Amino acid sequence: MSCEVPESAKQAGRRYTRGMLLAGALYVGLVALGVTVIRQMSPPQWLIIVLALLPALPALLMLRTYLTFYRALDEFQRRVQAEAALITLAVVTLAAFSYGFLEEWAGFPHVPLIWIIPAVVITWGASAFFVRARYK
Amino acid sequence: MRNRLKVLRAERDWSQADLAERLEVSRQSVNAIETGKYDPSLPLAFKIARVFALPIEQIFSEGDAPAQAAE
Repeated sequence: MSCEVPESAKQAGRRYTRGMLLAGALYVGLVALGVTVIRQMSPPQWLIIVLALLPALPALLMLRTYLTFYRALDEFQRRVQAEAALITLAVVTLAAFSYGFLEEWAGFPHVPLIWIIPAVVITWGASAFFVRARYK
Repeated sequence: MRNRLKVLRAERDWSQADLAERLEVSRQSVNAIETGKYDPSLPLAFKIARVFALPIEQIFSEGDAPAQAAE
């Protein structure tokens, strides 16, 4: 029976899932470590800075995993992903920009920058869904 | 760009998935090309021509002009 996607893409998909799960587990571990050390050990400022920067490592691993996956896609799927990335860039930056003004001028509650990555991931997923639907 | 992918595929009794497997692309890619929503790159167009054993101009044509059918 013929496959929906080529075998190479399936393997790339499996590698992607493995990489993302590993990065996710690493992220949870590093955040738990940081919270525990900061709350219970009163570490020096330099160590707090190091702990605060550690979660960027799994984020970089996610980026590397995604780029490997992207390169394994066929040209049409890469087009879909690239369009979704552009839409995400526009939506998230515009939303952050506008909310910044709302915070400064209208007294809206402060939203930490830590929410940027979840916003990117969610917007990217939704954008890819709509872009793919447009080509059907 | 117009193309005769659907006709050529039907002549060979291939499904979109069959063609996708031969071209080593996803079925969604074949569907997007077939419906004219996505124009393939030159390397992929050449690969399509190789798979159908036809010259490119008998598969793809510019604008609204139909591709030249094989004689």
